[in-house]
This record gives sequence, C-alpha cells and structure tokens, in this order.
Amino acid sequence: MADIAFLISAVVTVLCALIIVTRKNPIYSIIFMLPFFLAMSVIFVLLQAAFLAAIQIFIYGGAILVLFLFVVMLINLKSSELRDDFSLWPYVWASLGVGMFAGAVGFFINGGMTRKLAMAFEAPAKNPFLGSCESLAAPLLKEHLVPFEVVSVLIFVALLGAVILSKKRV
Amino acid sequence: MDMFSPVILAFTGWFNLEACLLLAGIVFIIGVWGFIVRKNVLIMLICVELMLNAVNLAFLSFARAHASSADPALKAAGESGQAAALFVIAVAAAEAAVGLAIVITYSRNRPSVDTREMDLLKH
Repeated sequence: MADIAFLISAVVTVLCALIIVTRKNPIYSIIFMLPFFLAMSVIFVLLQAAFLAAIQIFIYGGAILVLFLFVVMLINLKSSELRDDFSLWPYVWASLGVGMFAGAVGFFINGGMTRKLAMAFEAPAKNPFLGSCESLAAPLLKEHLVPFEVVSVLIFVALLGAVILSKKRV
Repeated sequence: MDMFSPVILAFTGWFNLEACLLLAGIVFIIGVWGFIVRKNVLIMLICVELMLNAVNLAFLSFARAHASSADPALKAAGESGQAAALFVIAVAAAEAAVGLAIVITYSRNRPSVDTREMDLLKH
C-alpha cells in the first residue's frame, strides 16, 4: 500500500513542481503549491515523519502560501509583465547546466554509496516512535539545544526585519 | 481483495531509498531550473521553497534509513535528521517572510518586479 501511495504522491509532486515553474501568472504557480505541499507531506508520513508532515501543512500550506498570495495581490502586476518574451538561449544554457547537475545526482544515487543504507531502509521499522513529538523533541532539547534557540532568535529577527522593511516610512 | 492483489503486487517495492532520493533530486533540479530561467521575483522565491522542500525530503529519507538500524548511535542520527528538517522549515519560513517584504518594498519604489529591469546600480 505504501508503494502505491508513494507513486501517486511522487507523480503529483513532480507534475505540480513543473506547473509551478512554467506558469506565466504567479497566481497559478501559488495555487499549485498547495497540492505540491500536500503530496510532499504524504511522502513525509510514509517516511515515518508524522509530526513534520503536520508542520509542513501548517507552515507551508497555511502560512507561506497565504503570504505569497497576499503579496501577489498587493504588488499589482501589470499585464505586460505576465508575458515572458521568449528567447531560446537562456533555456538552452539553463537546461544544459541543470542536466549536468542531474547527472551528478544520478551518479551519486547509483554509485553504490548508499547500498547498505538502502537495505536498512527496506527493513521493517525497528523504531516505531520515530517521527513522534517525543522522538523529535529529545534531540532538539538535548544535543541541538543551541541551534534550536538560535532558530527562535532568527525567526524573531526575520519578523522585525519584515515589519521594518515593509513599513511605508522608517 | 483478490481482484486488486495483482495491481498491488505490480507496484510493490517502489518505495525505497533510491526512489525517495531520486524524487528529491528531481524536485530540486526543477527548482534550480526555474530559479535560473524565470524572471519574475515571486516565482524565483517559490523555486527556492521548492528546493528547500526537496532537501527536506532527502533529510527525512536518510533519517528513515538510519533509524531502522540496530546501532543506537545511528538511531540517534535518524532522530537528528528529523530535527534538521525542522530547522530547514523554520529557516524557509523566515526567508519567505523577509524575501516577500523586500519584494513589497521594491514594488512600492519601482514600477516592475522583473529581474531584467532591476538595473538601478548599473546606471
């Protein structure tokens, strides 16, 4: 069952990512972010990360998506900006570079470096609590306590920065 | 159930580490491609979110692989992988907030958010 769920969500994820990148109007890109994040969170659940899947829906689907939507409505795009005047060369160069990068990724995945890990992945889960709040909180509050606090400072600074940047007059 | 069992058998084994990493790589590459090719700042920011999501997927698939091992140190590494994914989500939220604030300020002062017309420093 997990295999079928993974296949469906993988196909939805890739299709939505392609739609997001290729639409001219940013509204359509943002609307298609929602199925992208939902399918990604299905994969997170399959990977035994239930808490992170919920966080993914809250933060990405709830907060970031709505933020993008509000900004698109605020900055009134002119209709002239909605067309991309087409020139082939940037696409050719970008596809070439991206293709080389994709080859490197494929080489890494096929390189046998992960063979032992792949066997461990297929084994039945020996840690049924993985992905629960408890198992996620333990490393956060023990060995990663300093980064955890730094992240809270980072979010506070980002909040202040966003407010100050978007104020009319400083 | 018997009617569907051949269908279920045909799809067995697709959910493995290589498939997850391949999906993460494909989504990351689509994000890189969009970031290079598109000229609209908003869609470039969305592509950054796509890339961060792909990195999260890679983190979580490695965490799942490590957490299944019998070694307690590797098991702890699996839990730390999920903590790293949480950090990535937090940084992505902060980045989106600041980036969109910059876009709003820019669009208030200049007529367009097209990156081809962002040439104030050139003239």
